[in-house]
Amino acid sequence: MKPILEIKKLFKNFGGLEALKDINFKINVGDIVGLIGPNGAGKTTLFNCVAGIEKPTEGEIIFKNNGRTSSISGKKPEIVTALGIARTFQNIRLFDNLTVSDNVKIGRHCRTRSNFFGAVLQSKFQREEEKAITESSNHFLEFVGLKGRGKEIASSMPYGDQRRLEIARALATEPDLLMLDEPAAGMNPMESRNLMDLMRRIRDKGTTILLIEHDMKVVMGVCERVMVVNHGEWLAEGEPKMVQNDPKVIEAYLGTGAANATQAG
Amino acid sequence: MVKLKLKNMDKGAKLRIGLLILALILPLMPFVSNYILHIVILIYLYMILSLGLNIVPGFNGLLDLGYVGFYGIGAYTSGLLTYHFGLSYWIIIPLAFINGAIWGILLGAPTLRLTGDYFAIVTFGFSELVVLFLSNEIWLTRGPLGLPGIDVVSIDLSLFGGPKWEFIGEIPYYYLAIIMVLITLFVMNRIQDSRLGRAWFAIRDDEVAAVSCGINLLTYKVIAFAISAAFGAVGGSFFARWVTFLSPDMFKFWESFLILCMIVLGGMGNIWGVMIGAFVLVSLSEVLREILPLLGLPVQGRFLAFGFIMVIMMRYRPAGLLPIRAVAAQMKAGRVKRKKTKVSVGIKA
Repeated sequence: MKPILEIKKLFKNFGGLEALKDINFKINVGDIVGLIGPNGAGKTTLFNCVAGIEKPTEGEIIFKNNGRTSSISGKKPEIVTALGIARTFQNIRLFDNLTVSDNVKIGRHCRTRSNFFGAVLQSKFQREEEKAITESSNHFLEFVGLKGRGKEIASSMPYGDQRRLEIARALATEPDLLMLDEPAAGMNPMESRNLMDLMRRIRDKGTTILLIEHDMKVVMGVCERVMVVNHGEWLAEGEPKMVQNDPKVIEAYLGTGAANATQAG
Repeated sequence: MVKLKLKNMDKGAKLRIGLLILALILPLMPFVSNYILHIVILIYLYMILSLGLNIVPGFNGLLDLGYVGFYGIGAYTSGLLTYHFGLSYWIIIPLAFINGAIWGILLGAPTLRLTGDYFAIVTFGFSELVVLFLSNEIWLTRGPLGLPGIDVVSIDLSLFGGPKWEFIGEIPYYYLAIIMVLITLFVMNRIQDSRLGRAWFAIRDDEVAAVSCGINLLTYKVIAFAISAAFGAVGGSFFARWVTFLSPDMFKFWESFLILCMIVLGGMGNIWGVMIGAFVLVSLSEVLREILPLLGLPVQGRFLAFGFIMVIMMRYRPAGLLPIRAVAAQMKAGRVKRKKTKVSVGIKA
């Protein structure tokens, strides 16, 4: 098993608050890995550190793809995206005033090159690139199940569709590692089943997925491995069933009494 | 040959072509005096300026209060090059464009890291600096005395044994201004549908999501600022050769504010909207200049009227006369959000 992402001794402090303490883990190519933990455990901070939006206080983040090994800790988010890590956000962050297809086209930004002069003069290169951008954005929209809805305004779509659009935009950057921050939040059971199916299809195309999720049905249904953090500290790691029954995990979620009760029972 | 298939065109295209034809034949109308032509040229000039400014607040969502600084730089570039070297206007246009862009980069590169209000304050300071420079560096600009007697625009074919035409009266400037508006509009239109334009819209809508799509914020903001400044400078270069007189107090902060009002009134981010904004405010200003004295009010009262209009607009139509598409669609659907917050999207579920 080849690792795609390796995190070594990662620390992140916000002033006096230790949001992440000594986090170490590896993600293998082609896995769907879940990252769970109670609210405020540091899951999103960890995402932000990997995506370059937060700078880790200490530690190393190593990303391996296409035979390249890059240390991405402290790198700028646009560089991390160009290297092949894409993400979605806990509170959906779409380009609200733009159409659905423009949202996905912006995802193509880091894989395309035309500039001001190309745009004004409409060089042959620019026209071909623009055509390719349109084609691939249609492809990604179809992949997430939003075919033919490119002309709608992003903010006017239903919630579940906005989630899928955000995934399409992330996929448009052609990532090797896709990080989804609570993609099933606010979805009904039908929508989350579709989402699980979508995640499997993304993985089958060769993209590794790291998933933050509170919906345990989704986590248990789709993840091969689950990692648990609490108060910024590493708590447990392993197969979903194992983690689910781990007293430490139950304690973190439900308190000491609950952990004792489950053990006694 | 170009065949205009009128039947196949949508309403908007027909309207645009109709307006263009109207603009082209306007000087031939019997009732059109030189005064009216002068005002219409002024409208065209402000259309160029507001299209240029629109890039920064309209496309990128950054408040720019110092646009007039670039307008002034362009005007003095044009004026001084004509005054000292007698350069042809056709060479000055690209030089003014480049000079504007250079100053845009010089100001933008260090300051575009600032966010929101702080950036606006810096641009405001810059435009004041430009005015101070123009008034005090007398060796270069003659200071408050101004720069009189700048040559008019001419088409000089004497190099090829042809004649030399000088632009006398308003009509040649009228057509030159139309051409410049059309070129500006053409450039804006193409940018809007390009990778560059989309990157700007992404920055306007959500900076964090934009960087996550691989957009380098600083680079794209600086590009926006430079292009915006370049169009401001081209507008200034036209102004200098048209009125043939420059003085530093033509580039006071009020001008920046007026252009900003035009794009807010017309619809920030919509290139057709900002042109309507320029049309409305310039013509209103001239109409009020005629009417107010008749009512026994001072001419300065028109600024009061502008303020009143802006207040009414902000209350009833905050997105402008011709808002960008998304907002227009929301208004149609009866779901006008007066102030959109990012959080509301997350809570909606």
